[in-house]
Amino acid sequence: MTRSIDDDALEWAIRTGDPEFDDWDGFTSWLEADPAHPSQFEIASGVLEDAGRIVATLPLRHSAEPANDPKPGRRRFLQWSGGAVAAAILLGTGLSLWGARPQPYMIETAAGEVRTVALSDGSEIVVAGGSRLMLDRSKVRFAALEQGGALFVVKHDASAPFTVQAKGLSMTDLGTVFEVQLEKGSTRVAVSDGAVLVDPEGARLRLDPGQAVVASGAVLRREPAGEVGAWREGRLIFNDVTIGEVADALTRHLGIEVVASEAVASRPFSGTIDAAGVAKDPASLGPLLGVGVRTSDRRWVLQADR
Amino acid sequence: MIDSMSKAGLEAVYLANRDKLVRFLKARGAGDAAEDLVNELWFRVSTNRSGPIANPLSYLYRAANMLMIDRYRSTRQAELRDREWSRADENGQPLSLPSVDRIVEARQEAARVAAILEELGARREMVFRRSRIDGVPQRLIAEELGVSVSTVENDLRVACRVLADLKEQMR
Repeated sequence: MTRSIDDDALEWAIRTGDPEFDDWDGFTSWLEADPAHPSQFEIASGVLEDAGRIVATLPLRHSAEPANDPKPGRRRFLQWSGGAVAAAILLGTGLSLWGARPQPYMIETAAGEVRTVALSDGSEIVVAGGSRLMLDRSKVRFAALEQGGALFVVKHDASAPFTVQAKGLSMTDLGTVFEVQLEKGSTRVAVSDGAVLVDPEGARLRLDPGQAVVASGAVLRREPAGEVGAWREGRLIFNDVTIGEVADALTRHLGIEVVASEAVASRPFSGTIDAAGVAKDPASLGPLLGVGVRTSDRRWVLQADR
Repeated sequence: MIDSMSKAGLEAVYLANRDKLVRFLKARGAGDAAEDLVNELWFRVSTNRSGPIANPLSYLYRAANMLMIDRYRSTRQAELRDREWSRADENGQPLSLPSVDRIVEARQEAARVAAILEELGARREMVFRRSRIDGVPQRLIAEELGVSVSTVENDLRVACRVLADLKEQMR
């Protein structure tokens, strides 16, 4: 089988991918040496990125850990031990491993895409469609959710709590599985396993499994968690939201534009929507939400029923 | 020795090397867009909050390289999207969700990649992850794993070659 990815191009793609790479003059010379080189490089670089993306979604095997790691590091979804709380509050926003200089990078998902990110500490973040999550290579135990939603599966480490920031709301895990969802006016945190300390510098609300909190402005309101992460199976659960928010959530999840007309956008809705069923049969949204559904080429409009 | 740079210092390096950066962007295939891209590069870099930069010229080159990578990714995604939108179901209705075959395809692909990682072995997998996903310098990975830098380089070369070949096969 012929290799379509050129050896030299691949070598340059690997070398330039290293943050300490310095031979830009050498790289420029190679690029200029042959008109085929620039596109060979782009292809090699793109293929490597694709491969990396797939590998990042695969779980880390326990055997694939550095030889000199002092902690045996099993990924645990167990109950957190009470003694860790004090340490969690003191340590704040996570460890800085490679020096103070921040090295932020963004995970951005298209609407309809679900991506799992494996972090180097063994934690995993499942990012929902239409979302933006900021991570930082210099701060392994930290994430900032800027848009959309994500499910966090955090590897327990009592000496280094995992902190998530979601639009001004801060929370610290203590070895947990929990979900954060950003809506237009509010942020929701729900815990499936372990415990999360919400707003550790302020309200210090502790969430145990099955508990959730909705933060809207300065108000924190507790509610039952319901099914955490059900969106991964295509079930979107809404608890007293507006039809407009349902439309936004469907857009992010399905990858098709769903908009609510002014007439119906602020109507309240609570219930569960099976995204796959609705994608096959958009009209079924109508009776479910009490609206009319007008579908066109690339968007659905939710409007007042005749 | 770390040479720390204020924003004015970085700007001086940028201005002094702007021509080199334009040449690099052209070498990468930017063509006539190179001038616009270097301006965009400066805009992004200057509005990005960051601490002292150890090697400012390298930092600017890297930012230029990333810009080209983003551009290429956008073009590819647009092409993929166009292909997706032109698919339709049996009634001629445009398909908006990945069809069952795509989902199965993606799962099969993931399974083949997992099998490759198994064959590559724990250390090579770790090197690939630390370098390509976590962005750790090879020099530091070598320290982490207690091996030489050339071992890390070799591991990375082997892992990337095998994974790249697989991805190309499946295209």
